Amino acid sequence: MALNDSRDFLDAAGPGGPDLLACGRAAALVWDRAEAGTPPDEHERDCPHCRAAHADAGRLGALVHRMAAEEIEPPPSVVDAVMTAVMSELSPHEVLLLESPHGPNRLGRPAAAAVLRGVVDRMDGLRARSCRIEQVPERFEADVAISVTARFGVDLASVTARVRQMVLAAGEQALGVPVRRVDIDVVDVWGEA
Amino acid sequence: MAAAHGVAEPLDAPVPSGGGELDDLTLVVRAQEGDVRAFEALARRHQAVLYRLAVRVMGDHAEAEDALQEALLDAWRRVDRFRGDSAFSTWMYRVVTNRCVAMLRKRRPVPVAAVDERIPAPDSPERTAEADASMVALGGALRGLPDDLRICWVLRETEGLGYTEIAHITGASEDAVRGRIHRARTRLAEVMRPWR
Repeated sequence: MALNDSRDFLDAAGPGGPDLLACGRAAALVWDRAEAGTPPDEHERDCPHCRAAHADAGRLGALVHRMAAEEIEPPPSVVDAVMTAVMSELSPHEVLLLESPHGPNRLGRPAAAAVLRGVVDRMDGLRARSCRIEQVPERFEADVAISVTARFGVDLASVTARVRQMVLAAGEQALGVPVRRVDIDVVDVWGEA
Repeated sequence: MAAAHGVAEPLDAPVPSGGGELDDLTLVVRAQEGDVRAFEALARRHQAVLYRLAVRVMGDHAEAEDALQEALLDAWRRVDRFRGDSAFSTWMYRVVTNRCVAMLRKRRPVPVAAVDERIPAPDSPERTAEADASMVALGGALRGLPDDLRICWVLRETEGLGYTEIAHITGASEDAVRGRIHRARTRLAEVMRPWR
């Protein structure tokens, strides 16, 4: 159990301060120390209030650990139900217009962004984070702004050129949207686990 | 994208090597840009921890399921408000806690006598009868606590969070959180004294 609080609170006092034992020690912290198995200090060994808190913590501790360790799995249908509701709420306004012989086609912008992110994800040592696609006004072209994270050791100098090339190709071939401009940001570097 | 089914490990783990699993921040940014699959991956990754919290706070599996479902939908609708000033897991704890609080407020007050008679969660068979009985008693005692005490106690004792994070999740001061946890512990210790 996490015990990442400062020991300064052990003797905190005053109005508005944490609940105190009759001896003046902060009750929550005495309890935390007992729960964490920290041996009582000199005061705690002699103080009946601290000893009582240690005893209560010890008695309850084993049961609480058991409760905390219980496996409780959510019903498998929960996320499915949520995603059904999410899909029904999607608004259709975010579209790109594509040129076709039969008049403009419409392509959902989140779907187009997912395709471009997927292209980057499949490149060795790279992952796409943000991908924003803007239609060039009154033209069947798009501008793309994409942020990527790179595995430590990947040649960052060549990342932008490689990503640009892949995005241009995917825009043309996978989406049917000529990409006029690609802005690329390398926003993070991650290590191998 | 690889959806991480039922993963309940640390929620902000770095991107694992080689595999298709993405870190929380990348998934959050994608979800904020309308990527439904990224949000689904987040929901699947975090649902077990969040459901456990809801079960402990609501004291009832069916209500916990409703709370989790509503909270995940809340999270999708508000994901653009997540600014990254806390871990995504902390933000989700807050969304679930808020949803539980709203449901608890709507709930009709339960007579004190009825609290201990509610059917406990099923326990695993290998436990001894006495251990089972003490766990049932602890569950009953927990349900009998005032909501604000129970929420802080659960976040601390079964989720293992620090006081600062609990204060952030509940919107209370750290001192108030300490006080609530202390009062919850004292009351539980009192109720459980016969079970020593």
